[in-house]
Amino acid sequence: MRMTKQLLMGAVLGIVMVGTAGAYDGDWKRGRVYYRQVCTDCHQSMAKKTISPNEKTKAEWTAYITADKHDATKKSNPSLKYATSRAYRDSIKTKNKAAEKFLEVPDAELQADIKAWVLYGAKDSDNPSRCQ
Amino acid sequence: MTTQRVYIFKRFERFWHWTQAALIIFMMLTGFEVHGTYTLLGWAKAAQLHTNAAWALVALWVFAIFWHFTTGEWKQYIPTMEKVDVMVKYYVTGIFTDAPHPFRTTPLIKHNPLQRLAYLFVKLLINPLIWISGFAYLFYRDLGAIGLGGLPLAPIALVHTAAAFLMLIFFIAHIYLATAGHTPTAHIKAMIIGYEDVEDHGAAPAGKSAG
Amino acid sequence: MNLPPGTTWLKVAVTIMLATAFTAMPAAGASKSTADHSKFKELQQNFQSGPEVTKACLSCHTEAAKQVQKTKHWTWEYLNPENKQRLGKKNVINNFCIAVPSNYAACTACHIGYGWKDDKFDFTVETNVDCLACHDTTGSYLKLAGMAGHVPYKDMEYPPGSGSFVKATDLKKVAQKVGKTSRDTCGACHFNGGGGNAVKHGDLDTSLEAPDKELDVHMDSLGLNFTCATCHKTGGHDVAGSRYAPTAVDRKGAQVRGSEDRKNPATCQSCHGQAPHTKTAKLNDHTSKLACQTCHVPSFARGGIATKMSWDWSTAGKMGPDGKPMTVKDDKKHVIYDSKKGDFVLAENVTPEYIWFNGSVQYTLRGDPVEKSDQPTRINRFEGSPHDGKSVIWPVKVFRGQQPYDTVSKSLVILHTTGNDDASYWKHFNWEKAIAAGMASVGDTFSGKYDFVKTEMTWPITHMVAPKDKAVGCVECHKAGGRLEKIEGVYIPGRSRDHLGLLDTAGWSLAALTLFGVVVHGSLRIATRKKKD
Repeated sequence: MRMTKQLLMGAVLGIVMVGTAGAYDGDWKRGRVYYRQVCTDCHQSMAKKTISPNEKTKAEWTAYITADKHDATKKSNPSLKYATSRAYRDSIKTKNKAAEKFLEVPDAELQADIKAWVLYGAKDSDNPSRCQ
Repeated sequence: MTTQRVYIFKRFERFWHWTQAALIIFMMLTGFEVHGTYTLLGWAKAAQLHTNAAWALVALWVFAIFWHFTTGEWKQYIPTMEKVDVMVKYYVTGIFTDAPHPFRTTPLIKHNPLQRLAYLFVKLLINPLIWISGFAYLFYRDLGAIGLGGLPLAPIALVHTAAAFLMLIFFIAHIYLATAGHTPTAHIKAMIIGYEDVEDHGAAPAGKSAG
Repeated sequence: MNLPPGTTWLKVAVTIMLATAFTAMPAAGASKSTADHSKFKELQQNFQSGPEVTKACLSCHTEAAKQVQKTKHWTWEYLNPENKQRLGKKNVINNFCIAVPSNYAACTACHIGYGWKDDKFDFTVETNVDCLACHDTTGSYLKLAGMAGHVPYKDMEYPPGSGSFVKATDLKKVAQKVGKTSRDTCGACHFNGGGGNAVKHGDLDTSLEAPDKELDVHMDSLGLNFTCATCHKTGGHDVAGSRYAPTAVDRKGAQVRGSEDRKNPATCQSCHGQAPHTKTAKLNDHTSKLACQTCHVPSFARGGIATKMSWDWSTAGKMGPDGKPMTVKDDKKHVIYDSKKGDFVLAENVTPEYIWFNGSVQYTLRGDPVEKSDQPTRINRFEGSPHDGKSVIWPVKVFRGQQPYDTVSKSLVILHTTGNDDASYWKHFNWEKAIAAGMASVGDTFSGKYDFVKTEMTWPITHMVAPKDKAVGCVECHKAGGRLEKIEGVYIPGRSRDHLGLLDTAGWSLAALTLFGVVVHGSLRIATRKKKD
């Protein structure tokens, strides 16, 4: 009985936490594939350069993601969320295989994946990583 | 002087001649590109089409050989040294002095003695050289099956190239001599429509003997 | 509330949350393993060190360490059965960081063991085997240079004195999430050979962690998604396909399940067989002379990361204006000079060099005579010839450099580069001391006189296989001055240097003469006809 009670309480608390923290633990490896094959592809053609996870610290990335300001040139949709949205993936799916492959991944999941990747490879992380 | 219309080249013969001509011209063009003489179609395409044309020519030849033997036309190529000197003399001097053409074309003897020799040379020397070296070139990895394993590509290519040059030389001379009939267009016309207008002057020395 | 000691609500909650996330969200390429290691009691403990984790692993995988200890990955040693040369990472001298001995603590960050900090390392202790280096799936298990193969067990300043910090590795998490090897685990060392990303091989760098199809048709992360082990198939922890015993030519057909006729299943042929070109059969004829890679790896360092092409140690040791070690970068931000190492040349999208190779490699080892000359000393000579019947043309990266040698004993030397002692070259920049320490570490002597000798090292190019439409086109070799211009012993149609000059000259001359003849003859005919008229 005591066991059951503990588990039940744990589960309740767990659900509460899931509700606040998001139900999904970002998969940095999937984030890396999307980042390298979608994000970098566009960075190279639009910004003429690559942008690597190791260019910002974890705190800077978190702040950047929260701010949701992406393309400062206004050449494209300025929202960061848009660049990972299903709508965006749908718009480039014919020319980008990664966008096509991940088309049906829920936005929140993919955003968590990418966040996990940039934090994994951030400047102050244990393994600062490049976009390539 | 009258002229007589003679049916020289039959339908298949004309088809065979012009298809073969087209294929050989195309194969010389692609072949010398493969050799590295110039860039025209791009190497890969040239090599591929050269091979395809070779197979097309093989098919054409199967029919042509069958036709020559079933119709007896192969006899047209039996060589003769008779009157060769007359022909040579005509090409060297007579042709410039409006001398009568020493040879009279008939359906039974379509080629003058020089032509006979030249075509036989093509058929017995150039063609075998080209075909044998060409097939060895194409299948050089499988030469072991006929006991020639380990034969390197270089000598095969060398023979093939040499034969190609011979073909080119023949080709140049052949085109020119096509204009050296009774009239400059007589031979060419005959090869297109089949009929040749043969001059019927009774005193033509070679013509008489040929007739 | 009556919880077991040490348990907090948070932990329970997190566990449940993680479990929920994992069952609900199998990410791409989810494991099909029948074992969830997080459920094993042996792994539910707060490990204090790597060897403790290994001990737990070995309590079930009883033979694993014994298997590992037989491999080159463990011994860093290989005896070439052909020429009896004693090779392996421990013994060879290269023209990158030169040699492992005297630098163990740094180099053995890439050893699959714990504690190899000097030549006293005990290779027989099973718990010295590092399972996690290869079986980590979290990406958080990082062996750092200078720690003799250990990971940080507590938060620490790294590199010492740098002011930056690394966190302790969560060994429990890593242990509970073990899985198959991946491009990340193999790549942690093999992508970084020679001291950094992309430095050494040219066809192996971190761009292969998540490559697209253009970069590697097999490792394409959206497609076939091969791991290293898909080709480098292991049996009993022995990884197939070693550079020390290369298979230059494979004449066997595709490997059928169950057959064991191959000692190296990592060759292209072991899957593709001998006649893989179905559309253009002529291409199959090329396999008697060419390795698959010659056409199918059109260039290396294709993933956007430059590889080192040369390294000149002779210029090392110059200090910056402040008297401190410096680095110089080019406009692409590549380091092209480092006081510790000398001058570098880096390049991307490099067209390989091509050589005849039969699989035999002859090393220039310590003690083998070297001479200073314009002809570089070949550190590993790839043997082969068009006429030995067992060579094919291979693409290679040739890495050129200058490195120290003993001018008296005429031998390449070991350089003690790493560490904080007073002989370390990277600390004190004193060649004599550093070489003496390097040589002493293997019981060898140094005359005290050194100079620099030109060296070359050859690396087979075999990764970064392009999709077929990006393979090397015919005309890149079938022309004058093409990729294989320098290759002897083979007739390449279209390569003009293979032509018999006499034949071409005679052929064209005769053709021209014929043309000239008919033109003259024709002109005469026209001329004489006009006269008659």
